[in-house]
Amino acid sequence: MKFRVERDALADAVAWTAKSLPTRPSVPVLAGVLMRVSDGQLTVSGFDYEVSSQVTIGVQADSDGAALVSGRLLAEITKALPAKPAEIAAVGTHLELVCGSARFTLPTMPVEDYPTLPSMPEMAGVIDASTFAHAAAQVAIAAGRDDTIPMLTGVRMELDGTTLSLLATDRYRAAVREISWRPKDDGVNLQALVPARTLAETAKTLGPLGGDVLVALSRGGVGEGMIGFTGGSRRTTSRLLDPDFPKIRSLFPDQHNARATLSVAALTEVVKRVALVADRTTPVRLSFAEGEVVIEAGGSEDARASEAMEGEFTGEPLTVAFNPGYLLDGLSVLDAPTVFISFTTAMKPAVISPAAENGEPIPGYRYLIMPMRVGN
Amino acid sequence: MRLVIAKCSVDYVGRLTAHLPAAVRLLMVKADGSVSIHADDRAYKPLNWMSPPCRIEEAPGVWRVVNKAGEELRITLEEIFHDTSHELGLDPGLVKDGVEAHLQELLAAAPHTLGEGFTLVRREYPTAIGPVDLLCRDGAGATVAIEVKRRGEIDGVEQLTRYLDLLGRDPLLAPVSGVLAAQEIKPQARVLAQDRGIRCVVLDYNTLRGIKRDDLTLF
Repeated sequence: MKFRVERDALADAVAWTAKSLPTRPSVPVLAGVLMRVSDGQLTVSGFDYEVSSQVTIGVQADSDGAALVSGRLLAEITKALPAKPAEIAAVGTHLELVCGSARFTLPTMPVEDYPTLPSMPEMAGVIDASTFAHAAAQVAIAAGRDDTIPMLTGVRMELDGTTLSLLATDRYRAAVREISWRPKDDGVNLQALVPARTLAETAKTLGPLGGDVLVALSRGGVGEGMIGFTGGSRRTTSRLLDPDFPKIRSLFPDQHNARATLSVAALTEVVKRVALVADRTTPVRLSFAEGEVVIEAGGSEDARASEAMEGEFTGEPLTVAFNPGYLLDGLSVLDAPTVFISFTTAMKPAVISPAAENGEPIPGYRYLIMPMRVGN
Repeated sequence: MRLVIAKCSVDYVGRLTAHLPAAVRLLMVKADGSVSIHADDRAYKPLNWMSPPCRIEEAPGVWRVVNKAGEELRITLEEIFHDTSHELGLDPGLVKDGVEAHLQELLAAAPHTLGEGFTLVRREYPTAIGPVDLLCRDGAGATVAIEVKRRGEIDGVEQLTRYLDLLGRDPLLAPVSGVLAAQEIKPQARVLAQDRGIRCVVLDYNTLRGIKRDDLTLF
């Protein structure tokens, strides 16, 4: 194997693949990235039996072949290389990398020990890359992070006709995002529970590439229990979680008795400021009245903070307490100038949804947040 | 255990030096030869100490406690108020609060926590190398051995592996799969378990006990 490649293309490819490598590989070869050259194309692959990632870039190939080297080391080296074409050659049990006047020799691992990457499930449809990235970020934020309830660490994807829904919850908040996509078959009806971290990271890296992302998911046949995403020359597959998921759509109240309309930027700023006196588990209290909301945090003995801000409010005056982190999470992914916070009562979940500058609701995204109990 | 209450000053000469001016203190000389000097405060941390192995050279008015590295704790005794020795015998060791046993009991009562359709065969299923915490059958009737731990670490996985190896030889039980159930599973233990085909289940003690968390949740 011998080829020449642009430094940036190589660094991008290796960095992306190396990101999904396991930190504690059970078999040493899994810490490696596989580089394979054929037909003037370099394919860089990483796999940890859960997630596989693969990227193909064009190179000037002198001879075909494959080499397996430590992914982290190669990623760090390629990142630090000077901006010159790099020449890579497999020599015996080593990989020689020359870039400008820098020269590296890396040990290689036996290619034949490397597992075969899972094949892509059947293509289910196509979605705009940046829309997908945005939607995944909006939903993944609500997914659980601890393994006590494994299903909550996933994002549920529902492919129903031309609507693709993403749902996640950690029991304290829930997020639902509906976007339109182009299914291969308009009558499609598939569900999958994708590990939230994998989904968010994949979508985040595919988003900036632009174009479309191919979603591959099938019921039965090849790739059962897997989901695949392809964007540009990059492809990822991930094992799915057990498909059980709570019916979180029904948690969203059908109607509301009160609603606040606030500026997202102003509310975020105020909550962040007031929350400085609150630790991670103490609530911020929001007292809504006509034309104004007062945001406070802190107990009578501890440090206290309060701040008032303008805002539209319809309904009976109401005081509600939220975990500041969860509230800010919801606000941070709205990506809209205005937020609606809709209440039924102070102890029932509230719905956060985006709206345009003029108060026109922006459909598609809802973030449900459970209030906290407050003393007196 | 020798207890001495004395007015003493203490000098430590080793990697670094320390000095305790003269005052009344408790000196403890334990059966393993270790010496610790306590003031009349704090629950456990001595003012200064010498860990075993070390030896004491007692001369009138001065004790020299020296370890292998040649570090020395020199105790200058001005006045001794109390000096007794007691035979404590073998210590049974610290018994943890029984959470592990309780988890086992709770899981025995609710085996479905471990997996869909799980039923209990018995607790403390005997094998030649000791009892398996729980033996269950999964929804399909296959045998599953469960090791219950507070913290899932490498040794828990090793232990379960040994049981699985042994149980797997029993034609009435084989094939036997394994589950490591713990309140917290260390990443290394998880990797090792998965590598050996052992499933990891993280347990929520409070939920198992039926203690509702105080905070409000959506469901």
